Amino acid sequence: MLLSVEDFGIEFHDHDKPEKVVEGVSFTLDKGEILGIVGESGSGKSMTALAIAGLLPRKKLIKEGRILFEGEDVLTMERHKLRGLQGDEICMIFQEPMTALNPTMKIGTQVEEALRIHHTDMNDAARKERALKWLKNVELEDPERVYGSYPHQLSGGMRQRVMIAAAMVGEPQLLIADEPTTALDVTVQAQIIKLLQKLNKESKIAILFISHDLSLIRQISHNVLVMQNGHLVEKGAVDDIFEHPVQEYTKKLISAIPKVEL
Amino acid sequence: MLLTLLAVSFIVFAAFEIIPGDAAVSRLGSNATKESVEALRAQMGLDRPFMIRYLSWLAGFVKGDLGTSYSYNMPVSSMILEKLPITITLTIISMILTIGVSIPLSLLIAKYAGSKFDKVSYGVNQFAMAIPSFFLGILMSWFFGMVLKWFSPGGYISYKKNFGGFLSYLILPAIAIAIPKCAMSIKLLRSAILTEAGKDYVRTAYSRGLSTMEVLYRHVLKNAMIPLITFWGMAVADMIAGSIVVEQVFNIPGLGRILLTSISNRDYPVVEAVILLIAFVVLLMNFIVDVLYRVVDPRLRKD
Ligand SMILES: Nc1ncnc2c1ncn2[C@@H]1O[C@H](COP(=O)(O)OP(=O)(O)O)[C@@H](O)[C@H]1O
Ligand SMILES: [Mg+2]
Repeated sequence: MLLSVEDFGIEFHDHDKPEKVVEGVSFTLDKGEILGIVGESGSGKSMTALAIAGLLPRKKLIKEGRILFEGEDVLTMERHKLRGLQGDEICMIFQEPMTALNPTMKIGTQVEEALRIHHTDMNDAARKERALKWLKNVELEDPERVYGSYPHQLSGGMRQRVMIAAAMVGEPQLLIADEPTTALDVTVQAQIIKLLQKLNKESKIAILFISHDLSLIRQISHNVLVMQNGHLVEKGAVDDIFEHPVQEYTKKLISAIPKVEL
Repeated sequence: MLLTLLAVSFIVFAAFEIIPGDAAVSRLGSNATKESVEALRAQMGLDRPFMIRYLSWLAGFVKGDLGTSYSYNMPVSSMILEKLPITITLTIISMILTIGVSIPLSLLIAKYAGSKFDKVSYGVNQFAMAIPSFFLGILMSWFFGMVLKWFSPGGYISYKKNFGGFLSYLILPAIAIAIPKCAMSIKLLRSAILTEAGKDYVRTAYSRGLSTMEVLYRHVLKNAMIPLITFWGMAVADMIAGSIVVEQVFNIPGLGRILLTSISNRDYPVVEAVILLIAFVVLLMNFIVDVLYRVVDPRLRKD
């Protein structure tokens, strides 16, 4: 078992009255597993994902429960220890590939950054070689050119591939993908899903795949969590969830999927 | 650019036509006879009509002849060449202080945004922004010169004699010039840093395991500096123009000083040349600002 989330909750204290946005969430994720989290917008998926990646704001919110990564709680871990995991063991890609990259830094530098932080023994040439390998692995044409480009010179799909390469470069155990295809058009979306599946097979990386889109979740996940209003309402293997949903909410979500797809 | 300079030169010339006073009178003293003044005016060419004088000055300027100073009786170009390094050195030191101090300070303030430290520094900053450089200069030369006796006020060492000594006399005036600019830079940079710090790429940087300081220096700073480029460019032009007053306070014989004496002597070739130089610096800084934008922000480069 790679990740174990136990009775996790978040309460915001940045307004007049405290606001519980996630409550009592428990689940586990095995090595090499693809776990999908599905739920309407505002159901707490991103907050849960950010918490696992150690990216929640440090102020004005209370975190409850435990998030054990390889047995250690990322919620209470010392900062420097958490930073040691980030980019090396746990990586994250986001919904908006257009803004997730630094506009004034070359792609190559950004892809290599995790190596610069975590693999200080590597020299420039080795880092570049590794970065190019990953730019190629994410199926970018002409990796050399992409390496020397700036983000604005690439399309949204290419930037999301760059984000994936930058995440994979440290060869982490867990990739958190929060709505990674929502901002992309349908053909690019399908390519990115295929790419994530390929990486999962080849690198045995566990993926926490978050989407409000049930058909994507069904396509990619081994196991699925259904979230509603900050609560986990149902969890199980992908086929069980889609063929024999137990909860009314899950049934309602599934019946809302357009039937046209093959 | 040329048109701007032409317009500036004409306005300065015209201003001398309008303000009372006469180069010949100021050279001979106010109790000179009418005849001797008239004779000198004829000799200096001041009796010719305004447009003729302007055009002949302009013709000389275009040929690289800036004319001769009335009061010092030496070529304007060599006067300026001698004084220019003083003012430029002063400006460079002030600029280094402004940028060098404002960057780390605003990163520090931004890191602790909202804390007591942030609030106190806001107050200090507002205050520093509001004090004029010349007043700071007077305070500083009184305090360091008269009270602490670190240097003799009014003293100065020529850069030709001893460059180190020359620099040491420029430090205080440079600080006086830099403080208000630095305060303004900190105010602008702090808010630019906070704007950038909320952007998505910063979260991406944190997700790679960077510390706050690494995120600020490696990612945020460069992006936050983009909106500051214009301000810094204008600050350079402002410092050169502002040196007129500060040089007076610290008794530094730079460009500012000759400009003031030349105005009171109605020494218009010198005034023309210095003002054109200042106008040229302003235009040059505009150009440098445009170039710097392209250097710092790849989105503005043509591929
Ligand atoms: N700073 C905040 N203060 C209070 N509530 C917040 C804050 N940030 C997010 N939320 C709330 O947390 C809930 C969960 O958000 P999120 O995890 O982003 O949902 P999802 O990713 O499932 O769409 C939302 O209802 C949102 O309004
Ligand atoms: Mg979300």
